[in-house]
Parts: sequence; C-alpha cells; structure tokens
Amino acid sequence: MEYLASAGMLIGIYIILAASYNLIIGYGGLNTIAHPIFFALGAYTAALLGIGTTLPSVVCVLAGIGVAVVASVALAVTTLRIEGDYLLIASLGFQLGLLQLVNNFEFTGGPAGLSNIPVTITGPGRGWLYLLICAVLAVVVVWLIWRAMAGPFGRAVRAMRDDELACAALGRSLFTMKIVIFAFGCGAAGLAGGLYAYYFQYISPEQFNVAQSATILTMVVLGGIGTTWGPLVGAFVLVALPQAITFMQLPTSLVGPLQGIIFTVLVILFLFLRPYGLVGKREAGVAH
Amino acid sequence: MGEILRIENLCKQFGGIVVADDISLTLDAGEIVGLIGPNGAGKTSLFNLISGVVQPDSGRIFLQGRPLEGPLHRRARAGVVRTWQHMRLFRSMTVIENMLVATREYPGESMLRSMFATASVRRAEAEARARAMDLLARMGLTQTADNIVVDLPFGQQKLIGLARALMNDGRCLLLDEPMAGVEGSNYETMQRIVRDEASAGRAVCVVEHNVSFIKDLCTHAVFMAQGKILQRGSVDELTRSRELTELYFGTVDASVDA
Amino acid sequence: MTDPVILLQILWTGIAMSSYFVLFTVAFALTLKVEKLWNFAQAGLMGIAFYTMFYTLNAAHWPPWLGVTAAVVLTAAVSIAVEVWAIAVLRRRHSSGLIFFIFTLIFSQLVAFVLTLMFGTEPETIFPSVMSPVRIVGGVAVSDWDLQAVGVTLVLLALLYGLIRYTRDGQFMLAVADNDKLAEIYGISAKRAYLLSGIVAAVLICAGIYLYGTRAGVTPDVPIGLTLTAVIATLVGGLGRIFSAAIAAVGLALLQSFSILFIPAKWQALLLYFVLFFALVLFPRGIPVWRIGRPKPLAPMPVTQAGE
Repeated sequence: MEYLASAGMLIGIYIILAASYNLIIGYGGLNTIAHPIFFALGAYTAALLGIGTTLPSVVCVLAGIGVAVVASVALAVTTLRIEGDYLLIASLGFQLGLLQLVNNFEFTGGPAGLSNIPVTITGPGRGWLYLLICAVLAVVVVWLIWRAMAGPFGRAVRAMRDDELACAALGRSLFTMKIVIFAFGCGAAGLAGGLYAYYFQYISPEQFNVAQSATILTMVVLGGIGTTWGPLVGAFVLVALPQAITFMQLPTSLVGPLQGIIFTVLVILFLFLRPYGLVGKREAGVAH
Repeated sequence: MGEILRIENLCKQFGGIVVADDISLTLDAGEIVGLIGPNGAGKTSLFNLISGVVQPDSGRIFLQGRPLEGPLHRRARAGVVRTWQHMRLFRSMTVIENMLVATREYPGESMLRSMFATASVRRAEAEARARAMDLLARMGLTQTADNIVVDLPFGQQKLIGLARALMNDGRCLLLDEPMAGVEGSNYETMQRIVRDEASAGRAVCVVEHNVSFIKDLCTHAVFMAQGKILQRGSVDELTRSRELTELYFGTVDASVDA
Repeated sequence: MTDPVILLQILWTGIAMSSYFVLFTVAFALTLKVEKLWNFAQAGLMGIAFYTMFYTLNAAHWPPWLGVTAAVVLTAAVSIAVEVWAIAVLRRRHSSGLIFFIFTLIFSQLVAFVLTLMFGTEPETIFPSVMSPVRIVGGVAVSDWDLQAVGVTLVLLALLYGLIRYTRDGQFMLAVADNDKLAEIYGISAKRAYLLSGIVAAVLICAGIYLYGTRAGVTPDVPIGLTLTAVIATLVGGLGRIFSAAIAAVGLALLQSFSILFIPAKWQALLLYFVLFFALVLFPRGIPVWRIGRPKPLAPMPVTQAGE
C-alpha cells in the first residue's frame, strides 16, 4: 500500500515539475534545460533547514521555493541578453556547474547526498496523507498555470510568441513577462523539491543531472508541449510505465538503464512521429 | 492642440550607411504628414528611431515637451504607436485578441491578476473590449472580431493593423505604408479613419511610396533622401520641384509607383 | 617559489592532455560551422567509439588497427544515420533550436543508457593498462602516450587543414558553412557537405576518445561532460573559427592544469563552467575580438527593412 502511495507521490511531484517546465518552454518559449537545478535548490534548501534547524517543515519548503525563485531571477537577469541556442548552453552550464558545487561542498553532503532528512508525518496513514497534500498542491499548480494562460496574461504571452517586436512596440514589457514565467515555473520546481525531500528523505546530486532534465523533457514532449493536460498525461505515463518494468523482476542494475532507454526512445519517437504529443493537436504552433 | 512630436538633429549610422543625417522635424496635432522619398532614404529608419527599435547616435526626440527615450515598450506606453510595413499581426490570435493586446494600460496582464481575476481586471477587460468593438464598428468590421486575423483578406488585415495601433490611444501615430495594397472601400475607410484620428488631436505621420495616396490623405509632406530631409511643403509643391522629381519620381508616373 | 621544472612539467603534461580536448572541440566546432548545429549527439558518438574499441581491444583482443578501424567505421555510420534520418528531417521541418537540442541530447542519453545496459557503470579503459614508457627530457617526464597524443592530434589537424584548403570537398564544406542556399545555387550539395563534416567529426572523435580512453577510465556518462567542455572551447574560440577553437581548447586545458597550483583538484572542473558562464554573459553573441580579420559583412539590411 505504501508502494502505491509512493508511486502516487512521484506522479504528483512530476506533474508539478512537468507542468512548470511546460509553462517555461511550452508557453514562455524560453530556452532552458536547467529545470532540475531548481528542483534541487528546493530540495536541498528544505532538507538542510529541516536537518539543521527546528523550523517547521512548511517553512522549510517555503524557503526552498524562495531560494529557487531568487536563483531563477538571478539567472534570468544575467542571461537576459543571451539568445536562443546560447541560452540553452548557458542553462546547461548553470545546472552542471551548480551540481559540481553541491558535489564539492561538505555541508551539502557531497556526492553521497543528504539522507537524514527528518520525518514530518508519522503513523500508518503517512503515505496517504503526504499523497493528499501532494495531490492538492499539484492540482493548485496546474490550475494556477491554466488560469494565468487562459487570461489576459496568457494572451499577452501568445502575442509575444507570435511577434516579439510588434508586442513590445505595443507597450508590453517582454522581459517582465519572461521573468515572471520563469520565476513561477522555477518556484514550482522548488516546491516539488521540498515535497520530494520530505517524503523520500534522501537526496543526492545525481538525482538532478542531465538524466533528470531528459525525464522532465520527455514528459512534456510526450504529453504535448504547450497544452494544459499534456504534462499531466506525460507525468502519469512516464511514472507508471517504469513501474511496470519493476514488476518484471529484473536485476536492479538493469532497471535504471532500461527505464532510461524507454524514456529516450519515446521522446525520439514522439519528436518525429507526433511532435504535438499525446494531447496536442496537429496545428498547435507552439513548438515543432 | 499644438506640438506633439519634436525631433532635433537626429543622427544614425549603420556601418558605412547614414540612415539619419541631422534630421529635425515637428509633428503637430491635427496634422497628417507624408514622408516620401526613394528606397533607402531612411523613412522607415526614422520610424524605427522614433519608436525605439533603434537608438540614435545623437539627437533628441520630445513627446509633448518631454524627452522620449528608452526601449520600445516604454515609448508605446508614452503614446507613440506605429504600424509596420509587413503588418506584424499576431498570427495565431483573433482580431479582438490582437486589439486587446494593444491597449496602453493593461492591469489584467499580470500573471498574478490573471490567476486571481479581480473585479477591477474584469472591468478593464470589458472596457477594452468595448473600445475595440467601437473601433471595429467604425471600420465596418465587427463581424470579424472572432476570426483568426490571418484568415481575413489582405485589405481587412491592414485595417485591423491600424485598429490595433489605435487601441493605444496615443497622441503620435506613425503609419508605415498603411495603404499599400489596399483598394476600394477599404481604402476609403482607411482614409476616413486616419483623418478622423488627426482631427481628434493626434499627430500622424505616414510613409508611403504611392504619391496619389499621399495627395489624398496628407496635409503636407516631407521629402527624404539618403537620410536627409531635402524639402518640406505641400504635396503639390514637392511634386512640382524638378530636382526632387529627378531624384525620385523620375520617368515613373507617380500613381503607378506602389 | 615554484620550481621551473615543475612548471614545465605541468605545461608539457597539460599540452599532452589537451590533445583529446582539441580533437573533441574541433569535431564540435566543425559541425557547428558547417551545419549550424549544436551537435550534442557527438557525446553519443564518443560513447559508441569508446566501447567499440574497448570491446574489440580489451575484451576480444583484436589487433589495435582493426579495433580502431571498426570503431571509426561504426561511429561514422552512426553519424551518417543520425544526419540522414533525424537531422535532415528536423531541418526540413524548420524545427526550432530547442527541438534540435532536445533530439541530440536525448540521443546521447539513449546511447548512454544502452551502453550502461551492455557494459555497466564501472570505469573501463581501452587497454588493460594505462601505463606507457616514460623518459626524462630536461627534468620533465615525457611518456610515450604524451608523444602519441600530441603527434596524432597534430597530424589530424594538418590533414583537416589540407582537406579544407586544398580539396574540392573541403572548399564546398566552407561554402555551405558560409551560405548554404547560395552554395546550392552554385550546384554544391549541402547534403554532401553535411555528410562529409559528419564523417570527419567521427574520425576526430574516435581519435580523441582513443587518447582519452588509453589514459583514464570511461563510464557511459563521461562523454556528455566531455562534449560540454568542447562547447565551452568552441564558444571561447569564436563561432565559425575551427582552429582558434582548437587553440582555445589548449588554453583552457592549460588553465585547468595550472590551476592545480592554486586550487584543490576537485574545483578544477568548476573552473570551466565559470569560463562558460562569463563567456556567454559578457559576449552574448560570441567573442568579438575574434572577428578581427574576418571579411566585413555587406551593409546590414537595406535601410527600409531595418528593424523589421
């Protein structure tokens, strides 16, 4: 039963990650691959505060969100003149560079990570209570993103995607729109990190590297870039599918790479055969 | 009424090409000034300099007495709005959506406010929508409000481009070849609207290649070549000048050039 | 006061170790120049090349020349396959930069996962031993590996230079790099240029990973890090300038080597990320100092279209 709650938690966390990444690259059109680093910042902040202080867990998670938001704004401001392909590289460099830092510092636990994150909820229904909280938060995040994009803000963002120059010449501040999207998206990733740290009680740098970027990316591409339901479908499929593999009773050393192979093959297949994803429609001009 | 836009000694050079050579110009309320000249004269560049697409090397611009500076979006919010040679409509959006993204104030467009729509946001949206529909009504295009812009015929798209710019409600209107490719009733509508806006106290500047367009619409004209203003005056005066004719009109009958 | 011999040793060893870095960088820079593609799939090619050589030479004991040839052939074949079946398709669709990036990165990830499945995550080297005979020259230890590394790199760079300057195909690659549509009008096949640059890149990558893998252990996720360093050197060297990217690679390798005098080893990798970040932030459109000597472009956009 705990196992189902675990899987549910993972789906919830990945829904938050995929929906927020979709907001950033699908709706915002921002070129970044560094989403996991904000996931990591949220997780590590919450974990370190949880381990080192007596602050309540909610505060620690909020702090995690705060750190992720501040870092995202700092990154956005420094890279504001960088465009297109360069920005992708800058974000990759930022992610791997920060992970190197985490790897090298003592207080972050180095490569071994942090494994003594305190328990917050105890008792037989622990798993289900966590799952409930996570599910509610996932729904809230998805709903907020949907409302933002369905409203005047979303309209302005679509105009920006269609023609940046014309949009700016009509009085819209492109930078403000982009930074707001980025900050919200990264803050949500930070929230996912806090949830992850407290539930699984173990985090390490290798959980946040390029493989994680690829996973989240797969969910967004598979579900459908720039759609509301896409990230949910993608998160569900890509958490449920690998679980199916574990039922095959393979040796653990094979499970990881096999899951990875399935992810990457799925992305590639979808990129070529169905670039609009499972949920998206053929003419959606958001990304192809 | 009075002076809306004043340009003082504007200079700009790209590499070896001088696109603006000590340009000084004023636009007053109620005027419709035609900007004419051969290709490469610097007409659109002047619009780019005024609207903020490009920053000048030297010189200043004043809007209603106050310096006009900063990036594009700030100038648009100050009330300087332009249209584009290639329209630049938002292709995936409807007519009404195109227009709603053109208002000068946009309280609802904050991410937070879109998430938690307050009464004030809803009110602003309703007001903007009403204004947009009024503009469309003046053009006889209310039925197109919910069409995707690019599905409309070319002439109507150009009118929508103008309508979108008018949503800004700014005092300075810069129109880049608004009538190129527009004919018949759309042409008359465009003329009427531009004249109405000028009478309402806006300063309008129009770049056009077709001299008969300029004759029909403008109060007076300015002739540019190689980044310099060569002559100002009524359109008739300019077309009668022999040097200008050689420079630009050549042997081409003015009404054919489009 | 540091002993000048130590400095010389660091210099020599740094130069020798920059060899594979140079090869990876040139492969990346060449593809970027000719195809305008940030080809992260090259990490996958590195993995394929390495494990082919590892399997044939370390496990199956083939003669070295055969194993290396097999690796080159296989890597080149995969490079061509990726170009024809994937990149060309995305190019036809006018896909965005993000899509190309996603594909090439995911492709390399896929290769990494497959290799993990086949070979596990233990570090492996191409030959059972990474030791090679060492001689002392003027107080500096010079190993056979060092000489081989520098030699192979110089020869390959010379061959590449010859290819570009003196052969028709090389000239065609440059033409396509400059303006592929114009080149097509003159009857130059862009497709052929892309395939050629892919094959050349494959050769350089094989040589590079051979050198790396005969000196240090490789795991399936090492190549992505190596590709990122090639990216950094390419950016610092200036886009479109293959040989200055090579020099940048040597420079960065030496920077890393000499940094050992000032910072602990574990921070060396971070140094390169800092360089990357500063290079991009200070020069968001590429380092301008390298544009000296390039032919000036024609006057930018006709005036009537400025800003449109």
